[in-house]
Amino acid sequence: MSTLMTKLFKSAATILAAGAFSLSFSLSVTMAQTIAITNAEIHLAGPTNAPRTISNGTIIIENGLIRAVGPQVEAPLNATVINAEGKPVTPGLFAALTSVGLVEISLNDDANETSPDWGFPLSASLHASDALNTDSSIIAISRSGGVTRVYTTPNPGDKLFGGCGLVMDLSGSDNPISGDCLAQSAVMGLSGARRAGNTKTGAMALLRYWLDEALIYQRAPGTFRSRPNDTGLSLPDIQALVPVAMGQQPLLVEVNSAPDIRRLIDLQQEYGLKLILVSAREAWRLADELAAANIPVIINPADNLPENFESMGATLANAARLMDAGVVVAFYDNDIGYTHNVRLLPQLAGNAAANGVDHEEALAAITLNPAKIWGLESELGTVQAGKIADLVIWDGDPLEVTSRPTHIFINGAEASLENRQSLLAKRYKDLTRGDRPPAWKGD
Amino acid sequence: MTGSATWMKFFAVGAMALALTACGGGKKEESEDVTARLPNPDPYPSTYQPWASTPTLIEGATLLLGNGERIDNGAILMRDGVIDKVGKTGEVKLPKGKGEKIDAKGRYVTPGIIDAHSHLGVYPSPGFSSMSDGNEATAPNTAGVWAEHSVWPHDPGFTRALAGGITALQILPGSANLFGGRSVTLKNVPARTVQEMKFPGAPYGIKMACGENPKRVYQNSGPSTRMGNFRGYRNAWIEATAYKKKWDDYAAKLESGEDAGDPPGRDLKLETLAGVLSGDLFVNMHCYRGDEMVQVLDMAKEFGYKVSAFHHVVEGYKIADRLAEEGVCAAVWADWWGFKLEAYDSVRENAALIHNQPNGCAIIHSDSGVGIQRLNQEAAKAMADGRNLGIDIPEREAIKWLTSNPAKALHIEDKVGTLEAGKMADIVVWSRTPFSVYAKADLVFIDGALMYDRSDPSTSPRTDFEIGQEDNTMLGGAGQ
Repeated sequence: MSTLMTKLFKSAATILAAGAFSLSFSLSVTMAQTIAITNAEIHLAGPTNAPRTISNGTIIIENGLIRAVGPQVEAPLNATVINAEGKPVTPGLFAALTSVGLVEISLNDDANETSPDWGFPLSASLHASDALNTDSSIIAISRSGGVTRVYTTPNPGDKLFGGCGLVMDLSGSDNPISGDCLAQSAVMGLSGARRAGNTKTGAMALLRYWLDEALIYQRAPGTFRSRPNDTGLSLPDIQALVPVAMGQQPLLVEVNSAPDIRRLIDLQQEYGLKLILVSAREAWRLADELAAANIPVIINPADNLPENFESMGATLANAARLMDAGVVVAFYDNDIGYTHNVRLLPQLAGNAAANGVDHEEALAAITLNPAKIWGLESELGTVQAGKIADLVIWDGDPLEVTSRPTHIFINGAEASLENRQSLLAKRYKDLTRGDRPPAWKGD
Repeated sequence: MTGSATWMKFFAVGAMALALTACGGGKKEESEDVTARLPNPDPYPSTYQPWASTPTLIEGATLLLGNGERIDNGAILMRDGVIDKVGKTGEVKLPKGKGEKIDAKGRYVTPGIIDAHSHLGVYPSPGFSSMSDGNEATAPNTAGVWAEHSVWPHDPGFTRALAGGITALQILPGSANLFGGRSVTLKNVPARTVQEMKFPGAPYGIKMACGENPKRVYQNSGPSTRMGNFRGYRNAWIEATAYKKKWDDYAAKLESGEDAGDPPGRDLKLETLAGVLSGDLFVNMHCYRGDEMVQVLDMAKEFGYKVSAFHHVVEGYKIADRLAEEGVCAAVWADWWGFKLEAYDSVRENAALIHNQPNGCAIIHSDSGVGIQRLNQEAAKAMADGRNLGIDIPEREAIKWLTSNPAKALHIEDKVGTLEAGKMADIVVWSRTPFSVYAKADLVFIDGALMYDRSDPSTSPRTDFEIGQEDNTMLGGAGQ
């Protein structure tokens, strides 16, 4: 536990440092600047036993943090006032699972660091932070859709494990990491089977074997080194799995069928693992068990096709049934939008809301719940005093597909909505031949 | 469509063949001989029959007609499978008061959604390799394959699409090849055979692909470059031109009563390409980059054919003027991007910028078993992004992207795509404006028959693949 706590502590420090760093780049905002967002319909994404929204509310941002929130809050005299004109304000969106910063072009080996080629010897010891491209165009593009934080992770190559991921802000800072090496990624079910002799028995046996190896290593690192190693996992990988096997670092597992999920719940009890399930199309069938075991899930709420025999129960009701049972649910796109279209989180949440999830709960699945899953709940995820000021002002219902952000704040500083896509659209809006080539139309 | 004259010729031939079969050869001997001695243009004919319907009047709804018009507090009468009358509530009445009357106050009615780009049935669920039938990726030119021979009518994806208001869709081969093969246009009805789904009277299309896919798939054997791609297309058109001439000469001799001799040898690949050159088949061109599309337009002129629609068209906004001038539709996603370098310069305003040109023809397509379930949301996003760039497109216009524009690109615009009297009664009743994430297709009619009713599980199709599977068939069907 101490490892994780240390990391979280570090992460908090990093967040503040990152905030200062990005603020220093902004011409319009200084560290000392105070911002007041007034006349806002505030969607708090906060606890269910308190009011979920505040109409005609004010939010005071100071030193990168939310200083005050409420209907009666007065804007300080020195504050820059932004009148929201009754429009919704939400926490910045938090994408629970992406590979932002690890891929620019999916089908281009030179621009994709998400997973190693098959045959590469290392897996669990890979760190997203070692390849993180803080200049990726996806950062500004996602930000313009209201996304302020993402969890980004490498994915497994031909091993069960992919390495550890991190939470970063999308301010555009060179130092955006808010929490590093937060979980180990893994695949089970059919995806695991493909990496384990094409059997799920093989995948489960390998997973146990490697967890056991990590525990043996942890007890006696010196003697472990002299043991014959026939596990297919190299020493750095086994070392990387120690906090997982000790239940200190979450294991983020892609899995779909109810029987496979049931088996993982058993494994969690057996080893004392911290599990986070991903994809989990049939998770609703074990909603009560997952809630009791305190296992969060990251799902695509629009995922309803029987892709194979482990997804026969895929349904649009997955999110509602899990959330009704008290499971912590966050949304992600497991399809082509996984990284490039994290800006479509509101559409996923909107579809969940259209299929039985309460509107504010659907919003929580793309704000508070990812913060909970990644252990950053005390700093992020809601509009509450004391939290980091990641906020979005929208021109309409934040979950509606026709709504867009009008202002974005990350670490208390207003961030630009501009990106290379918006610049391209402006460049080619008027196609009539002028005096100068389109390539001269710039920022 | 400039090729409509030749396209009509295709149908004239097809219709003649049918008429002759039906009448037992009542026409004069000569033309029967001619038709019989030419390849059958329709050897796998549609056996689609509309399901039973009752005269149905929908009242009180906002109608988005698909032709740019909107009627508030509108009414629409369906009768005998066709749209009988469209107007204001009160002006349209059930004949003799008999039939179903649906109060759709607060709801929207649109033409059935048409997806111009789908791989349902050829890349079905389950996605097993044994069911992966969408790309005959064995040679760069496989124009001789027909998508319908791969379509699995029991693909659960069809039912999910139906719940999203899809009433017709074009099934395309994949984009691995320069020439991927023939497409087929289907009515989205549950069926035992693909023939029972084939849209009656819809012409065939061909799938071609630009850019990265063919050169990647064939990088060892070629084409391995974009110039190699173009050599591949052009050589094929040269060959097809010669093939077409042989058959045209043969048909002309038959027609004139000369001794035509033995028919030329048939070649399925060249038959399809010759069909494009004669205007019988329409061209679906998978292309991302603007510069490449303009080269394709030149190539089409070089060989005398027409591109009906470019598909994907991520850079359509860069050449939207050229597309509109040539009368070519652009079938796009609202916002997919980044999976390939040729999909890097995406802008969210793409559809709006294409639409905004005089005569611009934008289509929102899915290319996805998930996306096809919510094409209305994709159009809504594209509409909103246009507005953000100062291009204000009203819903009554944007609905064209899902209805009359794809109908035009698939050359079925005389039958579907708008709410106009005489057209097939393919319509959707939405719970609210379809330009909303909360909108649901409450009722879906195909040829006047109620094929999906969200409130009634008995009209919620469950496929053979899913029936009896644990925890599946109790879900309410159609993946809901």
